[in-house]
Amino acid sequence: MKLTRRNFIASVVGGAVGIQITPLPWKFTDDVAIWTQNWPWVPVPPSGEFSEVSSVCTLCPGGCGISVRKVEERAVKIEGRTDYPVNPGGICPLGMGGLQLLYDESLRFTGPMKRVGMRGSGEFQRITWREALDIAGARIAALRKEGRPEAVAAVDGNGEGTTASLLIQRLMQAVGSPNYVRPASLSDTYRMGNILMQGRDAPIAYDLENSDLIVSFGCGLLEGWGAPGRVLNAWGMWHEGNPAKRKVKIVQVESRASNTASKADYWVAAKPGTEGALALGLAHVIIRSGRYDAGFLAEHAFGFDDWQSRDGVVHTGFKTLVLKNYAPEQVSRITGVRPDAIVKLAGMFMDAKSPIAIYGKGKNELNGSLYEFMAVQSLNALAGRINRVGGVLLPDPLPLNPLPHFECDEIAAKGLEKPRLDRAGTKAYPFSHSLIHKFAEAINGSRKSPIDTLLVFSANPAFTLPDGGAFETALKKIPFVISFSPYRDETANMADLILPDCVYLEKVDDIIWPVGLQYPLYGLSKPVVDPIYDTRNCGDTIINLSKAIGKSVGAAFPWKHFTDVLKERAKGLYDAGGGLVRFNPAAPPWVAKGAGSKTGFKSFDDMWKKLEAGGMWYRPAEQQRDWSWLFKTPSGKFEFYSQRIEQAIRSGSTKEMRITVQGDEACMAHYEAPAQDPDRTAYPLTLFPYEMINLASGWIPSPPFLYKTIFDTQLLKDTSFAAIHPGTAGQYGLKQGDLVSVESPAGAVKVRVDLFEGAMPGRVYMPLGFGHTGYDEFLKGKGANPNAIVRAGEDPVSGYPVWWTTPVKLVKA
Amino acid sequence: MKKENDNGKPRHRYGMVIDLDKCTGCGTCMIACAAENNVSVRPDQSDKERAITWMRLYKITNGKEFPDTEVSYFPRPCMHCDHHPPCVSVCVATATKLDFNTGIVSQIYTRCIGCRYCQAACPYGARYFNWWDAYFPKDKGLDRYLSPEVSPRMRGVVEKCTFCHHRLMRAKEQAYAEGRREIEEHEYQTACTEACPVQAITFGDLNNPDHKVSKLVKHPFTFRLLERLGTEPKVYYYSSRDWVRKLGDNFLPGEYKPVLHKTWMQEEWSTKPGRDTY
Repeated sequence: MKLTRRNFIASVVGGAVGIQITPLPWKFTDDVAIWTQNWPWVPVPPSGEFSEVSSVCTLCPGGCGISVRKVEERAVKIEGRTDYPVNPGGICPLGMGGLQLLYDESLRFTGPMKRVGMRGSGEFQRITWREALDIAGARIAALRKEGRPEAVAAVDGNGEGTTASLLIQRLMQAVGSPNYVRPASLSDTYRMGNILMQGRDAPIAYDLENSDLIVSFGCGLLEGWGAPGRVLNAWGMWHEGNPAKRKVKIVQVESRASNTASKADYWVAAKPGTEGALALGLAHVIIRSGRYDAGFLAEHAFGFDDWQSRDGVVHTGFKTLVLKNYAPEQVSRITGVRPDAIVKLAGMFMDAKSPIAIYGKGKNELNGSLYEFMAVQSLNALAGRINRVGGVLLPDPLPLNPLPHFECDEIAAKGLEKPRLDRAGTKAYPFSHSLIHKFAEAINGSRKSPIDTLLVFSANPAFTLPDGGAFETALKKIPFVISFSPYRDETANMADLILPDCVYLEKVDDIIWPVGLQYPLYGLSKPVVDPIYDTRNCGDTIINLSKAIGKSVGAAFPWKHFTDVLKERAKGLYDAGGGLVRFNPAAPPWVAKGAGSKTGFKSFDDMWKKLEAGGMWYRPAEQQRDWSWLFKTPSGKFEFYSQRIEQAIRSGSTKEMRITVQGDEACMAHYEAPAQDPDRTAYPLTLFPYEMINLASGWIPSPPFLYKTIFDTQLLKDTSFAAIHPGTAGQYGLKQGDLVSVESPAGAVKVRVDLFEGAMPGRVYMPLGFGHTGYDEFLKGKGANPNAIVRAGEDPVSGYPVWWTTPVKLVKA
Repeated sequence: MKKENDNGKPRHRYGMVIDLDKCTGCGTCMIACAAENNVSVRPDQSDKERAITWMRLYKITNGKEFPDTEVSYFPRPCMHCDHHPPCVSVCVATATKLDFNTGIVSQIYTRCIGCRYCQAACPYGARYFNWWDAYFPKDKGLDRYLSPEVSPRMRGVVEKCTFCHHRLMRAKEQAYAEGRREIEEHEYQTACTEACPVQAITFGDLNNPDHKVSKLVKHPFTFRLLERLGTEPKVYYYSSRDWVRKLGDNFLPGEYKPVLHKTWMQEEWSTKPGRDTY
């Protein structure tokens, strides 16, 4: 057929009509959809029988109840338990993403390993458990043979009082080394303050649920302070119902418009490190108005009024000190808070039925300041809020059995006589148990590391310590590092030998009294799945390692399994009598105890079985205890004036203890102005590292899921942001998103600028948790770690790092 | 709209009320959602146009100077619009549909041809396009936590929040097995609702007067996002703060009317200096 015009038009029109009629194009469109979608590499999750396993989350010392949904042997989802007293219902974002920590193979060590590459390169080779234990055991045994067991050291990040941490301390004692160090946390500040003012070596117990005014001096209530599941649940309770009739008011003292500051009823923007001064300012107004609890002060407090000691010397009382130094105008100059706001806040505190002042610094992971804690606790005492419903309760520690006594061998006894490398417990740091930054300093300061072998348990000091990278430097000097971490974190990458622990969902572990909880609670987690790799519970590894070191060390560990130790300790709970192993949401433990609550178990074995199944042992709160013998201070009373500090000063000196004031003031809560910094002209701004609830900043890595919740004004590609007030940024000509270098005397990091009106002028706010060099592609190289440039001073008396006042400058990149 | 379907059975209209006073911006809802619905995590989640977040938090500030600044958050799932959902009317492949019996706007991945018309039409940005296959590299083994109740998506399709439709299926199956035809309020709750540690999210049947949501939506502090578009979203927000409610829509200056409701405003509740007072 010839192609004519007519034919051409006919075929085009015919074709067009044909296409309309034929189903082919539609069929093809459909097929394209099917073809492009059925690729074999899109996973098809296998189905099977569904089940739920109840356990307890041990990712933080908060210990929430979790329920894990399983399909056959696979765990597919974590949810909060409604039958657990800490967090009836929800959990935090970190706990929610926990399955990625379990199943992300490139985040974990799949078995014992030894280093083959350069230190820090993360190149390891698989070895057997036998080999690994032999290498570690032989090394420690050799040091003991040489007569220097003190060259073995341990860094332990397990919660205070947990069975794992007791076993590690026991191992160090049996080996014969005094060098057992822990990263400083808020619990350490609490412990010290509690001993100095109340004479009690017990957990701090804030009865938040029964309070009607919560004045939080720096606690990141919504950023993960305390037991996050508990605080968030209480937050929901406080905001239930008609906003016009809300009974509970929350006041947040913080320098930045954080979530807590924004969501609280009042936000008081005090400069970081002046929270204590503000508390004393409130105390001043309360004393002046005379509306303090005179009954409590007369009966149960020491050092409020001026007093005369036995030698006839007249001492200044807390009252005189506060009236002299902390008038609203004076406090306003220190804190930057308007005087009328201080008066108003004090008025609220006096008017409330059951107010409470709580002290913290963000989450619990970093320490606070001792004098600040004392100031806040003095405020509670002044208002008579100690040992009262809705105030600060004074419970006894959990009645767990102590581990049986054992005899050190001769080598160990000699080693334990050697001084601690970090000088904790000496005249300069009389109340501290351990000072990890001094430990690193001692190593960095000597030509050859005095520590030969370092054991690291549940800690990542190379990343988490606010020390400007000092620990990382120390790690490089230590000849041999053994890591027990299940994760490929920064510290583990520097290790020579890995004896990997199981991930929390694979192991049995205990939770000892979540931070701040007002009732005794012992949590027990159980394996939700069998270990998916060749890893072992760290408790078992310690027992095995002790045997590998030698007979006399092994003799201190007469157990076969970690579970035996847990059980032996928990027996104490049974022997103490009472306690509940099941939670009834209708009778929460903070509500005054009903008459005769039934325990619900008959024997210890019965209790243990139920404890394993339910994961909890607790007792309802004892809201008001008999006053006699409650305060175990030298005076037997609550001490505004701490006689223990007085004794310490007498045997040492205020200068040694870094106290700038003299005389009686040094033994009481007071404000210490930071030492005049010569660098201020060169570094005019101040760095404040802040914590977020949706980013892990401790030794547990962030599950990659968390990065979905990070805003693009916090992390963009691989650069994180520093929040800066627009006015401050303007002085440097910086706009939103500009790249800058934040420089301190300790170093520099690159970040982008986020202009935030809620940032205090003159401060640079950087989030903690970014800037990993370990782990895998999800976390590695994302953002900057402010810890790397922190130059921390030392807190008076306690010696813990003052990480909130690093001087910095901004240099436009 | 009719309260009954063609069979004379009650029509459900599942919806949600999110209390922004309670919401702390912790992001647990986002993670619960991603974990429940097999949403994968790619190494870079900072490109928010490509990162898939069926539930997404938006951060807002009141714009005031220090120290009167306040931040707040809008958790945003799919709004499951009840009146001509814009995505449904534009879909050429009938891959998305408003279910008359549940009020849920569905998404059928195998029908989707990836034209992204719905994504453009959605006023809430609740729809996400899969530029890549679900990211579960074999050597990582992350596919081991995948739930068999939700199929992982392939590249080239659009996905979004389904109000955890599989949970409705699960609850229904349970009810049928027990000889019941209707499910209880607590039997069907979305993953984000259950996960919220401050119980800021309430989920239920808006047509059922006994469900908590149907009471909450009547509250004067309750509002919806871009309400004036007329799409009738079934996700409601609740806030006692005026500046938050004001950001729920694009108001001309002076157009926004603050909530003044006597029953709810008897006492002074907003005490923070600089916070809105009436």
